[in-house]
Amino acid sequence: GLSSARAAEILARDGPNALTPPKATPEIVKFLRQMIGGFSILLWIGAGFSWISFGIQLAQGTDSAFDNLYLGVVLALVVILTGIFAYYQEAKSTNIMASFSKMIPQQALVLRDAEKKELPADQLVVGDIVEIKGGDRIPADIRLIFTQGCKVDNSSLTGESEPQSRSCDFTHENPLETRNIAFYSTTCVEGTATGIVINTGDRTIIGRIASLASGVGNEKTPIAIEIEHFVWLVAGVAVSIGVLFFIISVSMRYRILDSIIFLIGIIVANVPEGLLATVTVSLSLTAKRMAKKNCLVKNLEAVETLGSTSIICSDKTGTLTQNRMTVAHLWFDNQIYSADTSEDQTTQPFDQSSPSWTALSKIVTLCNRAEFRPGQENLPIMKRVVVGDASETALLKFSEVILGDVMSIRAQNKKVAEIPFNSTNKFQLSIHETADPHDKRFLLVMKGAPERILERCSTIMINGKEEPLDSEKAEAFQTAYMELGGMGERVLGFCHLYLPENEFPETFQFDTDSMNFPTSNLCFVGLLSMIDPPRSTVPDAVSKCRSAGIKVIMVTGDHPITAKAIAKSVGIISATSETVEDIAKRLNIPVEQVNRREATAAVVNGMELKDMSSEQLDSILREHAEIVFARTSPQQKLIIVEGCQRQGAVVAVTGDGVNDSPALKKADIGIAMGIAGSDAAKNAADMVLLDDNFASIVTGVEEGRLIFDNLKKTIAYTLTKNIAELCPFLIYIIASIPMPIGTITILFIDLGTDIIPSVALAYEKAESDIMNRRPRNKRKDRLVNHQLAVYSYLQIGIMQSVGAFVTYFTVYAEQGFLPSTLLGVRVHWESAASNDFEDSYGQQWTYYQRMYLQWTGYTAFFVSITIQQVADLIIRKTRRNSIFQQGLFRNKVIWVGIFSQIGIAAILTYGLGHVTALNFTPLRFQYWFVAVPFAILIWVYDEIRKLLIRRYPGSWWDKNMYY
Amino acid sequence: ENKHEEKVQDPDREKDKPKADMGSKTWADLAGEMKIFLWNPEERTCLGRTAKSWGLILLFYFIFYTCLAGMFAFCLYVMLLTLSPYTPRFRDRVSPPGVMIRPYLNGFTIAFNVSHPSTWQPYVDSMQHFLAAYDDKVQEEKNIECVPGQYFIQGGKDSEEKKACQFKRSLLQNCSGIEDPTFGYSRGQPCILLKMNRIIGYRPGAGVPVSVDCKVQKGNESHLRSVDFYPGNGTFDLMYYPYYGKFTHVNYTSPLVAMHFTDVQKNYLVPIQCSLNGKGIINDLNSDRFLGRIIFTLSIGK
Repeated sequence: GLSSARAAEILARDGPNALTPPKATPEIVKFLRQMIGGFSILLWIGAGFSWISFGIQLAQGTDSAFDNLYLGVVLALVVILTGIFAYYQEAKSTNIMASFSKMIPQQALVLRDAEKKELPADQLVVGDIVEIKGGDRIPADIRLIFTQGCKVDNSSLTGESEPQSRSCDFTHENPLETRNIAFYSTTCVEGTATGIVINTGDRTIIGRIASLASGVGNEKTPIAIEIEHFVWLVAGVAVSIGVLFFIISVSMRYRILDSIIFLIGIIVANVPEGLLATVTVSLSLTAKRMAKKNCLVKNLEAVETLGSTSIICSDKTGTLTQNRMTVAHLWFDNQIYSADTSEDQTTQPFDQSSPSWTALSKIVTLCNRAEFRPGQENLPIMKRVVVGDASETALLKFSEVILGDVMSIRAQNKKVAEIPFNSTNKFQLSIHETADPHDKRFLLVMKGAPERILERCSTIMINGKEEPLDSEKAEAFQTAYMELGGMGERVLGFCHLYLPENEFPETFQFDTDSMNFPTSNLCFVGLLSMIDPPRSTVPDAVSKCRSAGIKVIMVTGDHPITAKAIAKSVGIISATSETVEDIAKRLNIPVEQVNRREATAAVVNGMELKDMSSEQLDSILREHAEIVFARTSPQQKLIIVEGCQRQGAVVAVTGDGVNDSPALKKADIGIAMGIAGSDAAKNAADMVLLDDNFASIVTGVEEGRLIFDNLKKTIAYTLTKNIAELCPFLIYIIASIPMPIGTITILFIDLGTDIIPSVALAYEKAESDIMNRRPRNKRKDRLVNHQLAVYSYLQIGIMQSVGAFVTYFTVYAEQGFLPSTLLGVRVHWESAASNDFEDSYGQQWTYYQRMYLQWTGYTAFFVSITIQQVADLIIRKTRRNSIFQQGLFRNKVIWVGIFSQIGIAAILTYGLGHVTALNFTPLRFQYWFVAVPFAILIWVYDEIRKLLIRRYPGSWWDKNMYY
Repeated sequence: ENKHEEKVQDPDREKDKPKADMGSKTWADLAGEMKIFLWNPEERTCLGRTAKSWGLILLFYFIFYTCLAGMFAFCLYVMLLTLSPYTPRFRDRVSPPGVMIRPYLNGFTIAFNVSHPSTWQPYVDSMQHFLAAYDDKVQEEKNIECVPGQYFIQGGKDSEEKKACQFKRSLLQNCSGIEDPTFGYSRGQPCILLKMNRIIGYRPGAGVPVSVDCKVQKGNESHLRSVDFYPGNGTFDLMYYPYYGKFTHVNYTSPLVAMHFTDVQKNYLVPIQCSLNGKGIINDLNSDRFLGRIIFTLSIGK
């Protein structure tokens, strides 16, 4: 081995043997991005204007100058707090992920200074000699110099699920194909090996793939695009109204300084300060709900992406299937029987009365080397851990389910000789004593490739009787074998022979090398076929996807026949649809003559895919509704994903291997498997399926669609009151009435009373079966469409403003200022020197008395908006259905929202009513009810709107009023 | 029937060819799209709507807003119906009374030089103008003489016209401007009038007339050596209260207290606070410096 000194030298040169983590954006940059993103920039402008006007007023010596300073500070605080909140949310969701990448420090057994040493794997350098045994992770790329029955599982790298044997022989030019190289991060399944490290860290094959993955750009999520669109919309409205009224106020001969202050108010009123935080909370609530359903979402925005997914490219093994071989069919007595393949089988329903079955079950039980790990007697059979390969495990569990304690049966039928399976014989054989003490014969049992087994047989067992194997029976065998093979199942043949007692007495010594016993003229008993069966929940999930307009594409490394069989059994290829090949077979014409458009399904082989141009791939993706890609390498997954995205689809991709990570990253939403998935895959993915189950994706889709609908409702709810906040400013400017609502008060609505209700809408149940409609069209179905904006702004928003103004005028009138007096009164009203200001009744007011009245007006306006927002909240529960269809009390959180809203308003009004800086005053109780008629009006109006939409779908009303 | 089903059946969506990426749009494309949006000659739409569509939507909003305006007007009308035209429903925000002074030109600093009449003439003019309504003749003509020392409570209906008590400027004696038309300004002994804000139904002092006193606000107390108050040592007689509002108490003239600053430090800015004293009067509210008191600065030059 290397000397420690030399190793240290190389370590210094090459760096540690670890993958460089993907370059993370510095935290401070992330934080600052939150500070200027979204509406923040508008609020910063508002704060800036506040400080400018503070400066000017201070220089002029105006008393109220400090109000503007405080306002600026408050605005800045709002931006910083919402920024911190968003940053915290983002950090929290990335932290879930960080836990994945923290791996247990790996140890490696290294020869250094002529001594075997345990070293952390990251200390390995090129030239080190390492030893590996079954179960170890390969610590670096190594060239093997000594192996003993070594097999490696390369699935994380190449996607091949079968363990590959490894030897010292150089067998291929391609490092991925050659036998004498084992790769970093793959695992050694069995055997031992010694090798020389040839690559470390990022220079390993896996390191190169990882850097390839980080090179694939992350696409913007659909919801991010939607929110950006919405921010632009609202900011556009804010800026244009702001500028328009700036011009109006300047031309109305207001001072520039006043106009700037109005501008601040208009911006603050227009910007829904709390909304982005609300959206984040709603998304994280959904993410939590999804995590409970085994979908762990790393990136919050991915929650919705799943909802807009239109194509799912799914793995087969483990995702659609149970990832374990299970006996699916049996053939004996010239008949095919089906076995139960569900996850939690406890009995097998097929007919077990035939004596042939007794014979077959004996062979299955005895000719099997697999054993249960001890100490699992209490576990269900299907969950027990077995030592042995996949088919033997399947057979062991199968016989355990039917016969009970297999180990004791084996003990009763003591094994005297055995030839294990090898690839030249293609059979496995063992010789047993019989359980019957009076029967001194030995039983020879054999299983293997059916055609090889049949070759060795001269008879066949039918209903317990040995009958000669004539051509008719051989034909029947062939038919059955073809049928089972055609279902993509792995078929094994079973035969036996009772050795005659006279030739093989009890003391006979069997020699497996010289084979001093017959291996031909045996009695054929039956066939068993196995498959990795689909998960029981998958067919239902696939049909749900179909009704939800989502195309499910299977991408697998498996054989096309198996892939097709599984696809058919889970419904990815539906029962009635045919591939081009099927049509050709049915019509008995060559494949080339088939009209490709008639075939709804397609099974594409990886080899064909390799030679395809992207146009050809596009046409396949377009023309066929049901597609299976078989024999594909994980690299080809990326090509398929890109093809789907060219169709304008939102693509979800599942994957578990390291090689899947580019595809996972490229996909709109990458879904990694939580159990089988490699860390690299989990890193590249946006979501992790904790149970590796395809059906969980469907629940995720449902949640994603629901949150999209609910975000619409949240935004509609939040936008509405912006008009009620904006109108006061506009009317104040135009009609010169005392200011109806203060900027600070607006912030208390946006960030106080409205927050919990708008989050509560995220808990709203779906209005109709959201899984029965198509995925939304990215370009057409916007989160905030113009109907939503117009309905919220110009209809409900205006109603709210009117209701709030009625309260405002009531408060002033009952104190002595009739509406007619208020018009045009602004300059005199706001003059601090005017302390004997006359009201409509001849009473005289000091400046402070007027201001206090003005704050009462603010509070009344605030309370009115709050009361009407309760109505707004209730109407936003549904967009189409009547509230009574949806149920007023099904979403309890809404009521929490309503009570919190009123509670917060009451606390602000009565609790903080004496803090003058907040501009709240204790309000007379009756003023809470002035806006109630308008709240009822809002509700009735919206019910009428919904009624007309339901009554006249597609009408003018529907087109203009449905958001 | 159902919109969702319709969407599912809508075959057009499948055929949508993916457009170029949003990001790669050039400004020219954008301008082109904008133009199409503003006026699409093919479909004859402006801002995405045809003339008929615009007509319908405008008609809808016209009706919608008309109804809303009607409802607004109706609500206000009903609300106003409930109000008395003579007495506001609540008077809690306007009481206790605030205080103002005359002369008031622009600010609460009264600064003049005795030797330069042009510096004090505006104050004098202001006082004369203000006191015109208090001329003895005018008062005698319009108002009645009342019994001093008790509230002048007038029963009857709210709508009945109320009588007002005479407040003759001659009551202000040295500050009446009758003997000294310069109100003492020419001598450096200015008169300043103090009036209490009108509040309907308010009875100041609860039976004891509210009085006025003045002191130096923050500063050398010796700068203000003597002040004379008229009438009656600076009290607001009870008979002027309560006030019944401008519609029925048409000729009501607020009672005044004249403060004659006979000895104030010359050539100094003397900040003076004059307060009302009486039951129910608040004169120490920090946030309102005009409630029950007034602060002004006297600066009298030689």
